Amino acid sequence: MSDAGADASILVVDDQRELRLLVRITLQPLGKIATAASAEEALDHIRRVPTRLVVLDVWLGAGQSGVEFCRALKNDPATAAIKVILLSANGNQPDIDAGMAAGADAYVVKPYSPRDLLARATQLLA
Amino acid sequence: MLDATLPIDEERRLAVLLNLNILDTPAEERFDRITRMAARLFQVPIALVSLIDGERQWFKSRVGTELAESPRSTSFCTHTMLQDGVLVIEDASADARFASNPMVLADPHVRFYAGYPVAAPDGSKIGTLCLIDRAPRQFSEEERAVLRDLACMVAHEVAARQLEQALREQRESEAWLRGLLDNAPDGVMMLDESGAILSLNPHAEELFGCASAVLQGRSVHSLMVETIDGIGAALQDGQTVSFHGNGRRFDNSIFPIALSVRAMRLGGQRRYAAIVRDGARRREADRVIRESDARRSRYLATATHELRTPMASVLGFSELLMKRDFDTKTGNELVGIIHAQAGVLISVTNQLLDLARIEAGGRPGLRIGTHGMGVLLAEALQALAPQGSLERVVLTLDPAAAPVAADPQRMQLALVNLIGNALHYSPPGSQVDVSVAPVPYRGMAGVQVRVTDRGIGMTEEQVARLFEAFYRGGAMPEVPGSGLGMAIFKEVIDLHNGTIAIDSAPGRGTTATLVLPAASGETP
Repeated sequence: MSDAGADASILVVDDQRELRLLVRITLQPLGKIATAASAEEALDHIRRVPTRLVVLDVWLGAGQSGVEFCRALKNDPATAAIKVILLSANGNQPDIDAGMAAGADAYVVKPYSPRDLLARATQLLA
Repeated sequence: MLDATLPIDEERRLAVLLNLNILDTPAEERFDRITRMAARLFQVPIALVSLIDGERQWFKSRVGTELAESPRSTSFCTHTMLQDGVLVIEDASADARFASNPMVLADPHVRFYAGYPVAAPDGSKIGTLCLIDRAPRQFSEEERAVLRDLACMVAHEVAARQLEQALREQRESEAWLRGLLDNAPDGVMMLDESGAILSLNPHAEELFGCASAVLQGRSVHSLMVETIDGIGAALQDGQTVSFHGNGRRFDNSIFPIALSVRAMRLGGQRRYAAIVRDGARRREADRVIRESDARRSRYLATATHELRTPMASVLGFSELLMKRDFDTKTGNELVGIIHAQAGVLISVTNQLLDLARIEAGGRPGLRIGTHGMGVLLAEALQALAPQGSLERVVLTLDPAAAPVAADPQRMQLALVNLIGNALHYSPPGSQVDVSVAPVPYRGMAGVQVRVTDRGIGMTEEQVARLFEAFYRGGAMPEVPGSGLGMAIFKEVIDLHNGTIAIDSAPGRGTTATLVLPAASGETP
C-alpha cells in the first residue's frame, strides 16, 4: 500500500486510497510525499525514514485510530518533534479538543480546501 | 287581574329551589301524607304543596286536582310567599286582588284560599302549603296555627330530603374516591405532621410488601434507605418535594423508588399526601432512552463521516483540477475519482433515507399485503440484474410455502440487500443458493428463506456486528457499499415480525436464514 520514498519528509496516513491521493497531490509543492494506509504501516515508515510532518486521518478503519497514533508519536521522545495534522470528518468541538489533547499541531475538518491544507502544512514546516 | 310583585331575594330563592332538585320529580309519600291530612282536617276539596318556580307554580303534592302546574301570574301562593304568616282569602270573588283571576272565574272555581309559606333550610321561601275550597268560608286562629304546623312539617320534609340527597352524593363520591385510590397504579399515602403513615392504598401495600394495618403509624423515613430531606415544617402548604432513591420492603429487601410528597392542611393540621412509585420501570425506561440516544448520536457521527469522506474527494479534487495543471491521464483519473465518489455520496444518501423512512414509519408505515415469496424474490433479483452476476443465483422454491404478509417494496429492499451482500462477498462465478420452504413459526405457519454463499465468511465479531449501521467488516474494502444494507435488512425483517439467523465462519461462506410468518397466521 505504501509508496514511501526514502527522502520524503511528509507522510500521509489514510485508509482510503482516494484521500491519500488527494493529500499527496495537494502537498506535492512541498516535496516528496510518502503514504501509508494504517497506523502500523505509518510507524514502520517513520522508523525507517526521517519525517517532519504526518497528515493523519482520525478514522483509520480497523486497528489504531489516528488520535491514538498521534498521542503515541507525541509521547515518544524520538518522534515527538514530528508535526501532526489531524484530518477528520467530525468537526464537533469535543472531537477537535480530543485531537488537540492528543498533541496534534492542527486539526482540519473534511471536506477541506486543498489550498488551506497546503497553507497549514507550509506554515508548520516553516 | 293583578300580578304579584316578586320577592326581593327572588334570584337567590330560585337558585335554592333549583339546587333542591325537587322540581318535576315524582310524587313522594312524605308530602302526600301531609296534603291528605290537611284536606281531611280542614274539610277542603283541594290541598297542595306548591313550589314557586320562575314562571309557574308546580305542585309537588296535590289532593283534589289533576292540575300539575299553573302560571305564576295567576297564582295565589306567590302572594303567600311574599309575607311571613298565613294568607287567608275568605271569598276570592269579593277580593279586588282575585275577583277576576281565571282560577276564580273558571275551574277550579276558587272561592276560599288559605296558604302558609314553606321555607328551604336556609330560610328562602320556595312555596306554600295551601288549602282551596269552592265555597267561601272563615278560618279561625286555631285553624291558622294548625296550617302553620303542617307547613313546617312540609319544610322539615324538604330539609330531610335534601340531607338524604347530600348523603347519597357523599357516599357516591366516597365510593368514587375509594375506587380511584384502590385502583391507582401508584402507591398513595397520607402522612401526619411527623411523617408517620396515616393511611395507604393497596398499591402502596404491595410496593412495601406489607399490609396496611402494619404500616400505619410507621414513619415514612423507616421505609427508605436514604434520608429524605425536605419533609418538615419548612415545607409550605401546597409545596412538593420529590425524591429518587431506594425503598425498603418489610422483608428488608431494597428496591428503587420514586417518592413525591406534597404538604397540605387538613382539618387545621399539617398533613402530607405522598405518591410512591417503583423506580425500576422508570430506570429501565431511562436506560432504554439513553441507549437509544447514544446509538443515535453514534449513528449520526458515523453518517457524518460517511458523507464527509466522499465529499472531501469531490471538493478537493475538483479544486485541484481548477487551480493546477495536470497531464491528461492524471486529469482523467481525478475526474474519474470525483465521479465515483459522487456516486458513493448519492448511494449513501439514498440508503440513509431508506433507513430513516423505514425506522420513522415503523409498523404503521408498512403497506402490508399478501405476497408470494417467489414473486418478491423475482422482483428483488430483477433489481439486482444491472450489477450482472445474476446467473450465479440458483433459486429453489417449495410450492407448499404459503404467501407472506409483507410490504412488497420494503421486503424487496431487504432481499436485495441480503442477496447483494452474498454476491459481493463471494468469489466471482461462485454459486449463491436461495431457497424458500414452509416451516412452523411460533406455533403457526411460517416461510423460510435461506441464502447460502461460498464466500469469505465472517468471524464471530463480524457476525455480531453485522446489522450495525455503517459496519463494513473491513475484510473487503474494495466492495462498494455504505455499510447500511444489512441494517436496512434487519429493520425491515424486524418490522415484519420475522427472525434472522446467521451461520458463518471465515473461509466457509455464509448462510442467512430468514423466517417470516405466513399470511394466514398474521393479521395485517
